[in-house]
Amino acid sequence: MTATSWLLVALPALGALVLLLGGRRTNAWGHLLGCATVLAAFVYGLVLFFSTTGKAAGERVADVNLFSWIPVDALQVDFGLRIDPLSVTFVLLITGVGSVIHIYSIGYMEHDDDRRKFFAYLNLFVAAMLVLVLGNSFVTLYLGWEGVGLASYLLIGFWQDRPSAATAAKKAFLMNRVGDVGLALAIFLMWKYVGSTQYSEVFAGVGEIPTGAVLAIGLLLLLGACGKSGQFPLQAWLPDAMEGPTPVSALIHAATMVTAGVYLVARANPIYNETATGQLVVTLVGVVTLLIGAIIGCAYDDIKKVLAYSTVSQIGYMMLAVGLGPIGYALGIMHLLTHGFFKAGLFLGAGSVMHGMNDEVDIRKFGGLWRKMPITAVTFGLGYLALIGFPFLSGFYSKDAIIEAAFGKPGWQGWVFGGAAMLGAGLTAFYMTRLFLLTFFGKPRWKDIKSSDGREFHPHESPAVMTVPMILLAFGSIGAGFFLYSGDRLVTWLAPSLGELAHAEQTAIDPGLVPPLTVGLSALGALLAWLLVARKETPVERPERVSAVVRAARNDLYGNALNETLIARPGTWLARALVYVDNKGVDGLVNGLAATLGGSSGRLRRLQTGFVRSYALSMLGGSILVLAALLMVRFA
Amino acid sequence: MTPTYYLLLAALLFCIGAVGVLIRRNAVVVFMCIELMLNSVNLTLITFARIEGGLEGQVMAFFVMVVAAAEVVVGLAIIMAIFRARRSASVDDTNLLKY
Amino acid sequence: MLTSSVLTSGLLAQQGQPPGQGGAPEIDYLAILPIIIIFGAAAVGVLLEAVLPKHQRWSVQVGLSILAIVGAGLAFAYYVSDAPTEGITTIAGALSIDQPALFLWGTLLALGFGSILLIADRSVEPGGAFVAEAAIRPGTVQDRAQAQTTGMQTEVFPLALFALGGMMTFCAANDLLTMFIALEVLSLPLYLLCGLARRRRLLSQEAAVKYFLLGAFASAFFLYGLALLYGYAGSVKLADIATAAAGTDRSDALLFGGLGLLVVGLLFKGSVGPFHTWTPDVYQGAPTPVTAFMAACTKVAAFGGMLRVLTVAFESTSWEWRGVLWGVAIVSMVIGAILGLTQTDVKRMIAYSSIAHAGFLLIGTIALTDQGVSATMFYLLAYGFTTLAAFGVVSLVRDSSGEATHLSQWAGLAKRSPLIAAVFTFLLLALTGIPLTSGFVGKFVVFSAAIEDGMAPLVVIALVASAVAAFFYLRVIVLMYFSEPAEDGPTVSVPGTFTTAAITLGVAVTVLLGVLPTVVLDWATAGGGFAS
Repeated sequence: MTATSWLLVALPALGALVLLLGGRRTNAWGHLLGCATVLAAFVYGLVLFFSTTGKAAGERVADVNLFSWIPVDALQVDFGLRIDPLSVTFVLLITGVGSVIHIYSIGYMEHDDDRRKFFAYLNLFVAAMLVLVLGNSFVTLYLGWEGVGLASYLLIGFWQDRPSAATAAKKAFLMNRVGDVGLALAIFLMWKYVGSTQYSEVFAGVGEIPTGAVLAIGLLLLLGACGKSGQFPLQAWLPDAMEGPTPVSALIHAATMVTAGVYLVARANPIYNETATGQLVVTLVGVVTLLIGAIIGCAYDDIKKVLAYSTVSQIGYMMLAVGLGPIGYALGIMHLLTHGFFKAGLFLGAGSVMHGMNDEVDIRKFGGLWRKMPITAVTFGLGYLALIGFPFLSGFYSKDAIIEAAFGKPGWQGWVFGGAAMLGAGLTAFYMTRLFLLTFFGKPRWKDIKSSDGREFHPHESPAVMTVPMILLAFGSIGAGFFLYSGDRLVTWLAPSLGELAHAEQTAIDPGLVPPLTVGLSALGALLAWLLVARKETPVERPERVSAVVRAARNDLYGNALNETLIARPGTWLARALVYVDNKGVDGLVNGLAATLGGSSGRLRRLQTGFVRSYALSMLGGSILVLAALLMVRFA
Repeated sequence: MTPTYYLLLAALLFCIGAVGVLIRRNAVVVFMCIELMLNSVNLTLITFARIEGGLEGQVMAFFVMVVAAAEVVVGLAIIMAIFRARRSASVDDTNLLKY
Repeated sequence: MLTSSVLTSGLLAQQGQPPGQGGAPEIDYLAILPIIIIFGAAAVGVLLEAVLPKHQRWSVQVGLSILAIVGAGLAFAYYVSDAPTEGITTIAGALSIDQPALFLWGTLLALGFGSILLIADRSVEPGGAFVAEAAIRPGTVQDRAQAQTTGMQTEVFPLALFALGGMMTFCAANDLLTMFIALEVLSLPLYLLCGLARRRRLLSQEAAVKYFLLGAFASAFFLYGLALLYGYAGSVKLADIATAAAGTDRSDALLFGGLGLLVVGLLFKGSVGPFHTWTPDVYQGAPTPVTAFMAACTKVAAFGGMLRVLTVAFESTSWEWRGVLWGVAIVSMVIGAILGLTQTDVKRMIAYSSIAHAGFLLIGTIALTDQGVSATMFYLLAYGFTTLAAFGVVSLVRDSSGEATHLSQWAGLAKRSPLIAAVFTFLLLALTGIPLTSGFVGKFVVFSAAIEDGMAPLVVIALVASAVAAFFYLRVIVLMYFSEPAEDGPTVSVPGTFTTAAITLGVAVTVLLGVLPTVVLDWATAGGGFAS
């Protein structure tokens, strides 16, 4: 069974190839081929899953060597696949959610002339992502890593005629390159110290690597993970990536690709187990990101951007979990899976809303949409409840488990990490409730305005080809958490790949207190959002400056004012400040770096004067330097 | 006289040639400076051959001369072409390609 | 050329041998048959120019050149199938036909084949990229008239063959004098080829004069280095220099002075910064097929020669010079990556990219391990085909005044010609080093060889440089796909058979080496290294 597992990758790759080479001839049936190949891969994945569960726990990890890829002397890189519980889990997530989103895209991209190309890129993405998770060496992983980066670049920039899409695509590509440098260096270091890049040999030899080098490898891998997963400080590209079509945001920038960083850290668990400092840094990155994402999410009015920052924040949770070590790896993967369902569902819901609203994304212009699109409202609502951790929905199980584990860190770390994670849950509830209420409830604000291209809004429910996938994902939002959690199903299943799940010896607070506290905090956040949003008129335009007189004239002054000054105002400031830092600081750093390089390039190129004699001078100067250096090394 | 002096002379000639390439504008003169550098190499080769007491260095000097002659043919052809096109043999005038 | 090297070697051999044992040196004709065929065809080509009527020359010359390269390829394949793994030296040790030399010969013949195809193309521009009558002054009435004719200065074919033969000899040269002569034999035709463009002849001639003056300047350095090494070792054979470096009473100043000057000459040919200054100007001014030829083949020859010299003659002193070449590699990568950012001409941009790549290649070259040698050779092969195809694509994008090389003219190209834009995008991604292209495998093997040899900091810099360089490749892609095409923008010519074949060859090899590099890597790593 495992010997033919290369078919998994080959199917979607073949689809992409046919669609790209076939050109316009395949326009008529291209989307069907795209869906069929991914569905076939999903079915194959299921078969693989059941054949793996049929084996004894000890035999569930299998390496399949396909061919020798890069052989140079001592450096032997084989192209092989590793079939183990971890990779099979990801295969099911990728092909499962991938199939659903492929089907949804048939409807969503119906009016697009380049639908065939879109499916080709989507298939390319699925194939590359499967290489990433199935590869049995870090080089194969790198291959998939760059492949998904390329596919993501192509898909973010899919609507080529929008300049913002071009910029976003470029930004994503470049920030990912920064991360990729880290990953590449980590691979080279492994090769230097272990002499191999295969998982089996690296993990077996990790004990012989000097401590400093293990830390370096861990941090460099983390850099790669940060780039791909939009973690601090490389998070800025992810919200911009929402310029791509919504199914892309759902599949790549929510459910699968951006979680590759988490996969990387979990996969490299034997390396991280050797370096406590490395783990701590992973945890810190996760905590910082989850807070930043949640706070910034409060400030945006763009439905997809809010969801994007929410993704950043949720991946922060996963990073936090996998940074905790053996007590967290499986929990991170569990949250990754549940998040894959409900966030994909949320994005598809957002896409459905946009589909019916002339591609409008500003939640201030929505309102009362539940009457017009009930299925979207219900499925979106379930995703929303799952995300904020509503009891017994998916997010409740996976997120609480992470928070609980975070409290299990000894000393101050437990308090800080656990506290931050809990605070993040409250913030999540706040901004998601705001988003949900503004979109589906309240006054239909879209009635009196027109969209930017001058058309009136006629919201309507999406066709079945779009709603059915949303319904499917909604089932995932409801049940996935309980299914994976009950009887430690997922944890036991993943044990051959990630080791047995350890439990913290003592926690900072009683584990029994965590769920009620978290739920309480979330409820508080949701309540605040309701107080702020639902009980007063929401201006269609974002209020620039509201004078004291106007505010005084508004009724219900007392409670609102108190709310505003005590809670909302500082919150707004903090959020705005963070948006500012995000735009000016991180982007500024990137842009500043680009400007410095460009500026120095502009100045340096003036040295290329066009005069032969100055060229000769530079050659002579170079020669003298080379000679002087040589003689100095020898005689000095 | 010790052969070392010839080596120093050759080195001096080489430097004069190199500096000439940098400071002269006329392409033909620049080229002559390069020839001077090649000839200083010849002097070096012959001096070393003398020190070695063998013929190898002298034979090599012949090869250098032949190559230099071939280089002259090609070089003058190129310089002629550019002179005819621009009515100037100054290397500073040929700077359309830059930055 | 061949006679000269035979003669030298004979004389040198007699020098080295005790009296009484002289006589004609042994020549393994089968081993050097590829070189003989190339040079022979070049000489015949020159004769044909004299006897054939004008209208027949193009077809005969093209036929002869292709035949020569294919013939040389067959002879080469025949020899390789049965070549001794440890390699041989022939013509009294003047040429060393060992496994690296054979690998580089194969590379050069394949790349030379592609270049000849590009040079021969007459469909993109009526009459081809070369001037009909080089003696006509640019800008005159006759010049405008000749731009319309379909004639072509067909001497370019023998010139290209001479250059190719020179490059092959250069890779196999086992003593410095043969190396110097091969260097000149490969350079002189290139100087001329640079000046023979049909359009923008002033630029072309300027490129020729710059390349010539600087090239001659650099060969003077090379030659002086040779002389000093001769003084040091009493011989110019690489093996003798290595022996002398291991123990001699001569001053080390001669050794390191000679090494430094010699390396400068080689670095110049490989367009490694800071000896790169000619590269952008010459790449831009020369006719694009010639630029492709230079970028692909000269690099192979230069780095092939450098690998041999450094490994065979100077391995024992590597501790002293390694650090210096580290610095040079860094300078080259930084210059290439940073200056490439603001280029506005696509040919200049690829020139700066080639300078950055020269830095990467130098990293592999100074690794001095078996792995380093094979990695560098693989990189040369991979880079050569990618850049050949890239220049092939550049030659297709044209407006009324010839090639449209300004980047602004490439805006929105994807809308006009999706296929060409896609091909160029793929080639740029290969230059960036994205997996599944040969560029990735090349970088990967070179950098791992460097890491293995303890050059981790250099690899860090190289990765950063390649990340910076990715920016300017990406700029072109963004420009092609996301910008609105200009009203009077260039058109994309439909390539003729020759150009199509060359581009297809380059792209196919780039894909193949990315997906299945095993075939070539096995060959690059097989065998017994350098023979001397």
